[in-house]
Amino acid sequence: MTSTLDLTGVPCPMNWVRTKLALESLEPGEELSVALDDGEPIESVPRSAREDGHEVTVQGNIVNIVKR
Amino acid sequence: MSLSDQELERYSRQLVLPEWSGAAQEQLKSATVVVVGAGALGSPVATYLAGAGVGRLAIVDPDPVELSNLSRQFLHFTPDIEMNKAESAAAKISFLNPEVIAESYPARVEEDNAASIFLGADVVVDCTDTFESRYVINDACCAIGLPLVEGGVLGLAGMVMSIRPGESACYRCAFPTPPPDDAVPTCQEAGVLGPVAGVVGSIEALEALKLLTGFAEPLTDRILQIDDGGTTQLLVRTSRRDGCPACARVPAATQSP
Repeated sequence: MTSTLDLTGVPCPMNWVRTKLALESLEPGEELSVALDDGEPIESVPRSAREDGHEVTVQGNIVNIVKR
Repeated sequence: MSLSDQELERYSRQLVLPEWSGAAQEQLKSATVVVVGAGALGSPVATYLAGAGVGRLAIVDPDPVELSNLSRQFLHFTPDIEMNKAESAAAKISFLNPEVIAESYPARVEEDNAASIFLGADVVVDCTDTFESRYVINDACCAIGLPLVEGGVLGLAGMVMSIRPGESACYRCAFPTPPPDDAVPTCQEAGVLGPVAGVVGSIEALEALKLLTGFAEPLTDRILQIDDGGTTQLLVRTSRRDGCPACARVPAATQSP
């Protein structure tokens, strides 16, 4: 099952704070799909998620994160 | 316990740290820390712990603010002179972070009142400036199995150690006997430079955060010795002492994150 989070309109770094907290509530292997604004948000949130060791794919302004 | 939007924003710069987490933040929010001494060490300790989001801070100090305090005790301002330091500090903490319950105790921690002042605490941070008070606070924390951060500053030197009674060396294990009264200059005789106390107090605050959340390894069984105003730092190993009158018979703390 994939959880979703709409963080359009939420600037950095609050978008990553919310993404990170949402990931904390998931079990390893569960997925989170996050909608982000273009520009800095769609560039930096996937990077932070990868740095934390999660599996990340980006399609348009949607980031799919599989919790490590 | 969940965090409000305001709290997420207030703590966002630590929440983004890979070492930090929402769980750590919630642990802080539900924690009580007793800060003994609202002076040169207590100012950075109370400020950073309140800023980081510790839920309840109990600030203890019997003395009034004096003009000579203001060079380093930055929770107090010139109009606060003659006001009790614990009350002055708690008032500033409430301005800094209204999410924190800041309580003031205009009292000196002594053998007969320590247990009641420390009741309900998760960590005690010693920010006092005498050897006598360090032993009193250490012994009281050991007796009730309460984690403690010890710190001291004199001249351009200082020290910090963290103590988990029953698990790691206590202050009395590391320093079994107090130095003779005349061997140690008082703060008044030796002098103190504000930023040196700031360095030591900041490290004490960091240690308290480690003990509360487990986000990093605290300075247990180690003494961080600071010299030359902070440019020289030395880690000295220490260990529990058999038959230590303070901690030898203490059961390990019931909760350690």
